[in-house]
Amino acid sequence: MLKLANFTLVLVTLGTASTLYNLEHTTRAQERSIAKAKAEMVDNAEAIKLLKAEWSSLNRPERIQQLAEQHLGMKRLEPDQIVTAADLRMRLEALSKVSKPEGNVTIDDILKKMQ
Amino acid sequence: MVEPKIIDRKRGLAGQNRIRLLGLAYVAFFSIIGTQLVRLTVLEPEEGEARRIAREVDHIPRPDIVDRNGVVLATDVSVASLFADPRKILDMEEAVELISTTLPDVDAADLRKKLNAPGRAFVWIKRQVSPEERDAVYNLGIPGVAFVNERKRVYPQGRLAAHTVGYVDVDTKGIAGIEKYLDNAGAIYTASLAEPGRPTSSPAQLSMDINVQHVVADELSKAMTKFKCIAAGGIVMDIHTGEVIALVSLPDFNPNAESKNFGKDQQNRMLSGVYELGSVIKAVTFAMAFDYGTITMNSKYDARFPLVIGSARISDFHAQRRVLTIPEIFTNSSNIGTAKMALDVGIERHKAFLERVGLLDRLLTEVPETARPLLPKRWGKLVSATASFGHGFAVQPLQGLSVVTGILNDGSMVPPTFMMRSKEEADVLAKQIVKPGVSRDMQTLFRLNAVEGTASKADVPGYRVGGKTGTAEKVVHGRYSKDQRLASFIGAFPMDNPHYAILVMLDEPKPTPETYGFATSGWNAVPTAANIIARIAPMLGVDPVLTQADQAKLDKSRKAKKG
Repeated sequence: MLKLANFTLVLVTLGTASTLYNLEHTTRAQERSIAKAKAEMVDNAEAIKLLKAEWSSLNRPERIQQLAEQHLGMKRLEPDQIVTAADLRMRLEALSKVSKPEGNVTIDDILKKMQ
Repeated sequence: MVEPKIIDRKRGLAGQNRIRLLGLAYVAFFSIIGTQLVRLTVLEPEEGEARRIAREVDHIPRPDIVDRNGVVLATDVSVASLFADPRKILDMEEAVELISTTLPDVDAADLRKKLNAPGRAFVWIKRQVSPEERDAVYNLGIPGVAFVNERKRVYPQGRLAAHTVGYVDVDTKGIAGIEKYLDNAGAIYTASLAEPGRPTSSPAQLSMDINVQHVVADELSKAMTKFKCIAAGGIVMDIHTGEVIALVSLPDFNPNAESKNFGKDQQNRMLSGVYELGSVIKAVTFAMAFDYGTITMNSKYDARFPLVIGSARISDFHAQRRVLTIPEIFTNSSNIGTAKMALDVGIERHKAFLERVGLLDRLLTEVPETARPLLPKRWGKLVSATASFGHGFAVQPLQGLSVVTGILNDGSMVPPTFMMRSKEEADVLAKQIVKPGVSRDMQTLFRLNAVEGTASKADVPGYRVGGKTGTAEKVVHGRYSKDQRLASFIGAFPMDNPHYAILVMLDEPKPTPETYGFATSGWNAVPTAANIIARIAPMLGVDPVLTQADQAKLDKSRKAKKG
């Protein structure tokens, strides 16, 4: 009786010891990967900062203006080039010839008619 | 035989008790260990983690600085710095030679002296080296030479926003501009940006719009070349919130430069310079007279003869030699009329009004480099008369613009700021300096002056510009110079509901053939302001309203360009 009890206890001890070992092992591995990921995050954050700074530097209005003047031939926006939505509506009315046809006509019907 | 038995029994009992005690001790011992185990392995980690992070963030990180649209103006990047421990260097001569050939800007003699200094365990060889240089030195493999990663502050926009943003020294301590503000007065604000538990912080957002800032800088530098000025400056402000959208002072400086020995010539003229703004101050005098009720739009002043006070004579630059109405005094910029207006208000009330609008005190903003106004020691009749048209007292240009924003914003003046501010926050800070009715009269005068007065070249078609010009003679060796002038323009747009205010200042503009030999504000500062407004108004979302005359003007200028 006592022998059996002792034997099971020894088995349990061995079992828990190996589980504990495995657990610790995986934990350590995970801790390492967390540390690695964290270091990577710091590096990436650093790289993002650097790239953002570079982006900002490349987008300097002064530089963009110089490039635009060289390659695009664009001119200053004049106030009469700005139109409001209301102005657009008036234009649409002038183009009302292309308005929606009467009745329940689908694009398919129009295409068929054109053929 | 009984006795021993009893003793035995007693002994047995005692033994059993002892075993129990021992058992209890074991149980107590192991439960202590057990609970400790659970506490340390299951509960402790979070606390430990927190402690570790706290150690990492033992100082508040310097926040990035961005403009109102999130464009990065200042940020930290990590760079390597090279140092040496002279005690560990085996061959000093070889080390010095290798390093000085790899890094050409390290002086060999200087380095040898530093490394040979007795008792030194730490010597900077070069701070903030480039990645290529770092790799090159690393490959030399000198013992005792190593790198440490340091934070370096960079300004991607370079000189563009330099005066506002400021700069830091090599230990990333703010020593000018907003950078200094973040360290000193704004430390609480900086701390509020830090994210708890993480080594980052949200950026400090300025009210500046980098695109508007560029336009102002671009047009000012063109004007500087065209009119051969010694300096130029410009400010764009949001009238409703007091936000400074752009602030340019030329010549400027590059905050990324190694040596931060910037001269007085590169100072921020808009804040740390004080100037006699000249006739633009007349706007303040008009607002004052309207507010005290000493004039109405229909009042008239006799400007036929120069005004004589004691031995001094005040005369007009654009002399009309007739009786002028209030709008005429404004559009002709009559010194005589304005001076008489101030005298009617009275010396004491004039001084009190200037005090009320803040022109007699130093203007304090986030940017720490501000100058105190230069004021006359005694206020007499003559001082009051000259002060009415901006002579005899000098203020910061931003201060002058700020008062005009107040006059045009239904009389409520919002203190200028360089940080983002909402309309609600601005309303709390606003101070009523004149009655709303006065503001409407002033808006009319400003607009009128751009339509038919001295600022007519500022009338950009569609954007309803209004403004006041000023040409002050500079004080050279204690007397007013006839040919060294300070031309300025203060204006606002759109005038039917003023939203943005603009100041342009040119220091010593020279006459050119194009200006027919004139060097007054209307010929240089005003067209510069017009160029700026034409470019920034669409950026700021001001809707153009074109009259037929405006359209004709546009068509004409287009034809002129083609032809």
